[in-house]
Amino acid sequence: MATIPANEGFDAHDHAHDHDHDHKPSFFARWFMSTNHKDIGTLYLIFAIFAGIIGGAVSGIMRAELAEPGIQYLGWWTNFVGGNATDFNQTLHMWNVLITAHGLIMVFFMVMPAIIGGFGNWFVPIMIGAPDMAFPRMNNVSFWLTFVGFCSLMMSAFMPGGTGIGAGTGWTVYAPLSTSGSVGPAVDFAIFSLHLSGAGSILGAINFITTIFNMRAPGMTLHKMPLFVWSVLVTAFLLLLALPVLAAAITMLLTDRNFGTTFFDPAGGGDPVLYQHLFWFFGHPEVYIMILPGFGIISQIISTFSKKPVFGYLGMAYAMVAIGVVGFIVWAHHMYTTGLDVNTKMYFTAATMVIAVPTGIKIFSWIATMWGGSIEFKSPMVWAIGFIFLFTVGGVTGVVLANGGVDDNLHDTYYVVAHFHYVLSLGAVTSLFAGFYYWFPKMSGRMHSEFLSHLQFWIFFVGVNLIFFPMHFLGVQGMPRRYPDYAMAYSYWNKIASIGYVIMAVSIVIFFINILYAFLAGKKAEANYWGEGATTLEWTLSSPPPFHQFETLPVIDDAAHAH
Amino acid sequence: MSLADTARSMGKAFRSYGRTLGIAAALTFGTQALAAAPAAPVDAPVVAASESAAPAAAAAEAAPATATVADKGSYTPMAPTPGKGQPVDKGWTFQDQYSPVGEQGLWMHDVILMPIIVAISIFVLILLVVVAARFNKRANPVASKTSHNTLIEVVWTLVPVLILVVIAVPSIRLLAQQYEPAPKGAVTVKVTGYQWYWGYTYPDNGGFEVISNMLTEEEALKKGEPGHLAVDNRMVVPVGEPIRIQTIGSDVIHAFAVPSLWFKLDAVPGRINEKVLFIKEPGVYYGQCSELCGARHGYMPIAVEALPRDKFEAWVKTQPGGTVGPAAPAVVTPAAAPAAAAPEAAASEAPAA
Amino acid sequence: MATQVVPDPRRNRRVGLYAAAGALTMLGLGYASVPLYRLFCQVTGYGGTTQRADATAAAGVKVAGKMIRVRFDANVAPGLPWAFKPQQVSQDLRIGERKIATFEARNNSDHPITGSAIFNVSPEQAGKYFNKIQCFCFTEQKLMPGQDVRMPVIYYVDPAILDDPGANNIEEITLSYTFNETPESVASRQRGGR
Repeated sequence: MATIPANEGFDAHDHAHDHDHDHKPSFFARWFMSTNHKDIGTLYLIFAIFAGIIGGAVSGIMRAELAEPGIQYLGWWTNFVGGNATDFNQTLHMWNVLITAHGLIMVFFMVMPAIIGGFGNWFVPIMIGAPDMAFPRMNNVSFWLTFVGFCSLMMSAFMPGGTGIGAGTGWTVYAPLSTSGSVGPAVDFAIFSLHLSGAGSILGAINFITTIFNMRAPGMTLHKMPLFVWSVLVTAFLLLLALPVLAAAITMLLTDRNFGTTFFDPAGGGDPVLYQHLFWFFGHPEVYIMILPGFGIISQIISTFSKKPVFGYLGMAYAMVAIGVVGFIVWAHHMYTTGLDVNTKMYFTAATMVIAVPTGIKIFSWIATMWGGSIEFKSPMVWAIGFIFLFTVGGVTGVVLANGGVDDNLHDTYYVVAHFHYVLSLGAVTSLFAGFYYWFPKMSGRMHSEFLSHLQFWIFFVGVNLIFFPMHFLGVQGMPRRYPDYAMAYSYWNKIASIGYVIMAVSIVIFFINILYAFLAGKKAEANYWGEGATTLEWTLSSPPPFHQFETLPVIDDAAHAH
Repeated sequence: MSLADTARSMGKAFRSYGRTLGIAAALTFGTQALAAAPAAPVDAPVVAASESAAPAAAAAEAAPATATVADKGSYTPMAPTPGKGQPVDKGWTFQDQYSPVGEQGLWMHDVILMPIIVAISIFVLILLVVVAARFNKRANPVASKTSHNTLIEVVWTLVPVLILVVIAVPSIRLLAQQYEPAPKGAVTVKVTGYQWYWGYTYPDNGGFEVISNMLTEEEALKKGEPGHLAVDNRMVVPVGEPIRIQTIGSDVIHAFAVPSLWFKLDAVPGRINEKVLFIKEPGVYYGQCSELCGARHGYMPIAVEALPRDKFEAWVKTQPGGTVGPAAPAVVTPAAAPAAAAPEAAASEAPAA
Repeated sequence: MATQVVPDPRRNRRVGLYAAAGALTMLGLGYASVPLYRLFCQVTGYGGTTQRADATAAAGVKVAGKMIRVRFDANVAPGLPWAFKPQQVSQDLRIGERKIATFEARNNSDHPITGSAIFNVSPEQAGKYFNKIQCFCFTEQKLMPGQDVRMPVIYYVDPAILDDPGANNIEEITLSYTFNETPESVASRQRGGR
């Protein structure tokens, strides 16, 4: 996209001449009161990695429990959080706490902070040639709201939540299980954690929208923006329009729980199904919030390592816009079995399948970008190609689930679990790793080990497929989700999935070794360590970029653009 | 936004299509679907959908006669057939289907969806492999700068649209079939989800409620039933006739689901949901609660036992207050309202006209 | 070549405020969805919501020849010590004809309790055509300890159902009620030291 003539390169040396641009504040002021988009991005990334470890550990407990039929480990964890494992109901409640925590952590405190807060903060201002975000202090508030939200969620795990300790409502927090079905402060704290992180995300969305609309360098028109910026722009709009609806819904849950209102309580004429409508009106755009920036990252990477501009740039950008728009009118496909009438179900079936069209455009455009290219299989590229395939597999099972008549069998089975993990765990998370290896040297100034990155990819690829592919089989065989225990017939594939988890965990260990290696022994990274294919503005800056970049704005050269 | 409009108009078009063609198509196409769907196991007696109406009607005729005889009925729980109506070890396909909707749904998945999604996945995989082989740095040192090709962009927009239409047409038809209402006089079972067990009420047969709890692993194995799926009291229904299933939740939302009958319906508190169930063969069909409902969500399985009409009626008579016969409208059932006084009932009828 | 940074906080603030207004609008819509959804259900019969008709409007309804059966279902929310039953399993009537059905409720506790009934019909596409002229569910019901009441519902099925291709094949409609204790009743009971 935006290319800079070579003689206009910006690097740290240009800046550091006579004035003290790179003066950094003291440690506390820098990391706790930060207003620098790169520092806040770093904070988000560290936070997301930390939350990811916890969320991943929770899924480890779950896979261990599911490795064999029967209840093996839940009792220990029940006692750990302060419950009483001799009460079997409390032990089983622990399971619901685990699935709830895993879902909420991974969605709100791992993927979103990493992909929007981390990479978005780091690279959106740089890619559009802006010195910082539009509202730097609000940016800081966003991060700390997310952080406090996470603390609130962690605390909820040690509080009474109805049948046992912790919030066991599922990440969907359906009423009336979350209202009359769960007395005790745990669910209040979990809901409050969503409020806080949601508020943080809305502020972040306002910040991104303003930054992208107002802070672009001269010549950086909307149609010249790198696709990653486009993806964050669309995502910011989704956040802005979807999250307030969740905020309203869960606020009503809170008042239903504590102040005697009956928004969703049948006792006062409320309808629990309305909560589901509101939740999924947010929830469906939410899944695009998680994956769209991933699309953007993959587009940058594919273009860089194919040494070609993105194929069908405008189609790619507007495909994301289309996905965002259509994402708002398909929510009830999460509710096919709640008792929708036939016309509603037919509409949502048709509307949902429409999303496959822009998604297909993206997949094929990525492949067309590679077509005719001169591909270098550096680690980010390998992750990106892995993403395309895994996301395709996750996408086509989405087409199966879109059919209301077929969903009557598959709804709330492991097939659904397999589907959304293919698009999120194998999709969004793969794009996160791709982006991480793509930009890590830029952010840290140190090169990671390409060997370890490749090794991690292959082990991760084998591991996650072993975890999640058998879940399709469990799903069609009828195994419902959110079950700590199951019939004997399901044990074979569950065992394999649990083995897959161990393999995946090994790949995560390699990831940390790789980071450690980079900081201890990694080569210093050049400004543009990926070479000629990397054409966006971040590659014109040193690695790491100066504390303040673009004090004089870069001018984007028209002639450099084929489109 | 044009896409949103397209989506809406598509929805509208499909809706009207579903209305006008859906039912007719379901009837005509249903027979083809039967032929195309994997055949039911040969060892079990098959009651075909088309034949079922006659025996059911005959049974209904005979019912009053048997009802007057004061017999207590009889019932021995049927032994489940391994692999029928339950998951199978290492299974990786859908459970065999024992309802017309299930056959149609399975056909939809196996004949329409599965080939398409496998083909798409393999197509993408092949493209990736080709790209990796032909356009790597060694094979193609100089990258082309092509970034546009209107024709191919139109093609990869329109071809998916066509594929989706191919999927949508039978999908809408399947939906229409699933929503055909139960006919007058169909056996009605009201399924109530409780934390954490099921209740099955038979309003037309005396209004008794069968409470169904999970058996422990040991109890189940002792009875020769699959662990974690077996229950103490099953939901017993007649085979080969439409059954009106109504679901409602008592406390939180549950979901009544039987995979081998392609049936899943949420039980929402304060709101009754309804759907038709038609079971083609006698047998025991297991299912599990499919909406998170609290601690023992995984411990409230469902067992549906489908019996021939006469055996079903014999079972009804073993239940407290169980009666068999055409449900007489406007009759106060003894179990339902013991305190109801006759004059009042008569009086309340009067102003209706 | 390169231009000097011209930060324009006013422009940023304006766009930021527009965005914030967008978020606040969605928040408002979130809350507004509760009454809007209720209204939507009442108007369209969505979710099996029945219609309410007054007697004069009902008098003008032409009775069609076709028969339909209406079934009755009664539920009590957990924790409400009432017995609640329909006094008839079902009624057969002509479409358009007015009919009365009665339900019986009994307070089995030793204290007065106020309850209110929520309701819907199934199949849910019948909601638009199921009209209640008079119903105990229109008001709250207070039952003294041990009190036993019979409560009427006067209803008819709108002949327009015969013109709806999505609903004219319905042969039986089920009218379902669930009695809940009103939140005020719960509160006053708790204040009373129970």
